[in-house]
Amino acid sequence: MSRPKEMTRAVIVGHKSILKETIDALHDTNLFHVEDFVEDESGFKISKPFKNAEEVSKKLVKIRSIANYLGIDSKKPVVQKTDSVLRELDSKLDELDRTISTKTESISQLENELKDLESQKREILPYLSINLDFEYYRGYENLRVFAGTVKGSLEASQISSITQAYELYYDPQSKAVVLFVAKSDADKVYELLQGLGFKELRVPERGGVPSELLRFIEQKEAEVTRRIESLKGEIESLKARYADFILASDEVLSIENQKAELPLRIATSANAFIIDGWTPTEDYDRIVSVVNSATKGKAYVTSLEIHHEEEDHAPVEYNNSKVVAPMQQVMDLYSRPKYTEIDPSSAIFITFPLIYGMILGDIGYALILGVLALAIRTLVKSDAVKPLMDILIYCQIWSIIFGVIYGEFLGFSLASLHTVHGVTPGLIPGWETITLFESIGGEEFTFPIHRSHMVMTMIGLSVFVGLLHLNLGFLLGFSNIARHHGMKHAVLEKGSWMIIELGAILAAIGYFGGSALMYIGAGVLVLGIVMLTMGEGIKGPIELPSLMGNALSYARIIAVGLSSIYIAGTVNDIAFSMIWPDHSQIGFAAVAAIIVFILGHGLNTVLSIIAPGLHALRLQYVEFFGKFYEGGGKKFNPFGYIRKYTEE
Amino acid sequence: MTDGATAGLFLDAAGMKALGAAIAIATTGYASAIAEREIGTAAIGAMAENEGLFGKGLILTVIPETIVIFGLVVALLINSA
Repeated sequence: MSRPKEMTRAVIVGHKSILKETIDALHDTNLFHVEDFVEDESGFKISKPFKNAEEVSKKLVKIRSIANYLGIDSKKPVVQKTDSVLRELDSKLDELDRTISTKTESISQLENELKDLESQKREILPYLSINLDFEYYRGYENLRVFAGTVKGSLEASQISSITQAYELYYDPQSKAVVLFVAKSDADKVYELLQGLGFKELRVPERGGVPSELLRFIEQKEAEVTRRIESLKGEIESLKARYADFILASDEVLSIENQKAELPLRIATSANAFIIDGWTPTEDYDRIVSVVNSATKGKAYVTSLEIHHEEEDHAPVEYNNSKVVAPMQQVMDLYSRPKYTEIDPSSAIFITFPLIYGMILGDIGYALILGVLALAIRTLVKSDAVKPLMDILIYCQIWSIIFGVIYGEFLGFSLASLHTVHGVTPGLIPGWETITLFESIGGEEFTFPIHRSHMVMTMIGLSVFVGLLHLNLGFLLGFSNIARHHGMKHAVLEKGSWMIIELGAILAAIGYFGGSALMYIGAGVLVLGIVMLTMGEGIKGPIELPSLMGNALSYARIIAVGLSSIYIAGTVNDIAFSMIWPDHSQIGFAAVAAIIVFILGHGLNTVLSIIAPGLHALRLQYVEFFGKFYEGGGKKFNPFGYIRKYTEE
Repeated sequence: MTDGATAGLFLDAAGMKALGAAIAIATTGYASAIAEREIGTAAIGAMAENEGLFGKGLILTVIPETIVIFGLVVALLINSA
C-alpha cells in the first residue's frame, strides 16, 4: 500500500536581479509546486509581472483567437526549436492576422451582397408571371397604377362595370394584379380592390423585364457564392499551412506567460524575493543544484521543517507503479488522497476489477470488450482515454477468470448441467458440471458455478467477499489512525468494528450449532460495542446497523450479474427459436435471427460496461472508502510545462 | 399454477410466494427510484457548478440503492423458503 510521494518544503531567496534566472531554471525542472503568497503584515508584497507580460498575453490572445477561428485541434506534434519559433513569431503572426482579417472582411462583404441580391429577387418574384417592364409602371399623369396581390379572385367584368378605361394584368395562380386605370376612377377601383383583400406591393426602382432581371440576379448570386467558397477554401489552406506554427507558438507563448506572471505569486521586498513551495523530497537536491548553477550560487535554497498542521496543505503526487497508475483516475474522480493518508490506488487496483469480473463473469463479453479496449488504446492517442482503457482491460482479465469459474460465454453455459428436469448440454461437449458439496438452501455447489441455479449460495458468497472488502477498509483505517493518533485510538475506532464482526459471527455459529459459543460471541459483541462507544462516542453504536447494510449491499454482485445473464439468455432464446422454428429448415427468419443476436448482444455489451462498472465503483466509493478514506488532497501542480510542439 | 384443491378465490401457495416476491422487488425499486430522483437532480445541479463533485454526487445518488438490494434479498428469501 503506497503513500503519496514525500514532499519537502523548500524556500528560495535571492536578490531581484537574479529573479529571472531563478524562474527560468525552476520552470525547466517542472518539479516545484509554488505556494501562492498571500500578503500579510510581514511587509513583503507580491511583485509585478515581468515587463514583457502584457505583450506576451496580447499575442497569446491573438494566436488563440486565430486558432479558434481556424478550428485547429491538437495533432501529432512536429517539434520545432523554441528560438526559431520566437524569431518568426512577430512577422508570421502579423501576416497571418492580416491575411485572415482581409479575407474575413471580404467574405462578410460578399455575404452582405448576397443578402441584397436575395431581397431584390424577392421583390421581383411576384411580377414574374406578368413580365412587364418596370419602366411602364411609373411616370403617368392621368393614370393610376395598382400593383399587388389580391386574396379573392378578380374578374375583368368587375372593373369594366366601373370604367372602360383600364388595362388589367392578372395571374389567377399567384393572384398578382397590375391594373392601370384613369385617375378619375381610381378611388372607386381602389374600393373594389380592397374588397378583394388587395395588398399593395413595392415596384422595384429599376427598369427591365422581370424574367431577364431574375436571370441576371441569379447569375450574380452564383458568382458571389463561388467567390465566398473560394475565399473559405483559401482560409482552409491557411489552416493547413500554419497549424504547426500556431500550435508551437501557442506553446512558447504559454510558457513565456507562465514565467512572466510568476512574480504575482511570490513574496518580494524592495530588493529581494522569496519563492516558497513544495518539491518531492527525492528531487530536492536537483532543485538546489539547478538553481545554484543558474544563478552562480547567488540564490539561497533551503528546506523547512514541516509542522504537523502544515502536512494537510502539502500537495499530493501519487507514488504508484506504472501498472497501478491508471487507477489514479478512479481516485481523482472521487477525491485525491490527503498527504497524510494511505493512497488506496493499489487496493482498488485489485478490488475494483475483481468485483467487476465477479459481476460480469462472461468469457464472450470479456473478449469483445477486451479487444475493443485494446484497439481504442492503440488507435486513440489521447492521454485521457488511455488510463480508462487500461482499467477496462484489467476488468476484462478478471471477467475472463470468473467466466471460466462460471462457465459462461455470451449467456450460454459452457458445461452441461444436470438438474432434476434432466440434462442441459453445454457449448463445450464433454465438459460436465461437477457437484462439489451441498450448499445453502438445499443448493448444490458445483464447478463451473451456474449462477442462476445457486442464487442463495452466491448471495452468501457475495456478502462474504463484501465482508473481506470492508475489513480491508477497516485495516487501512487502522493504519491511518495508528500513524497519526496512536495505537489506542486505532484499536478503539477501527479495531472495535472487527471485534464486533467477530462477536456476531461467533454468536451466529453458536446459535445455529446450539453450543455455548453463542454466549462467548455475545460477550465479544458487547465488548466491541463498548470499545466503539469509547472510540467514537454515541455516534458509533448509532452507525452499527450500517455495517449490515454495507455487507448486504454486496448482494448486488450476484443481482447485477443475474440481470446480465437473463438478458443474454433471452437474446439467445429468441434468436435460436427463430433460426430453427421447426428444427428442420433454415429460412428467411435466420437472417432476422442474426440481426436480433447481434443487436441484442451489442446492447448487452454496452450494458456490460455500465452496470458492472458503476456498481463495482460504488462498492469502492461508498462501502470501502467509507471505512477509512477522507480525501481532499491538493494536486501537486509543478511550475513548468510539458512541451509537445517545441524544444529548447 | 393451481392444483385444484387450493384453486379458487386465492392463488395457491406458489403463486402467493411469487406475488410476495414481486411486491418486495417492485415497492423497494420504486422507493429507490423516488429517492434517487431527488438526489440525482441535486447532484447534477451541483456538478454544473463544479465538475469535481462527480464522485461525491455519484455516491450520494446511489446510497438509496441499498433499499432495492434489501428488496431483492427478501424476494430471494421468499422464493427459496
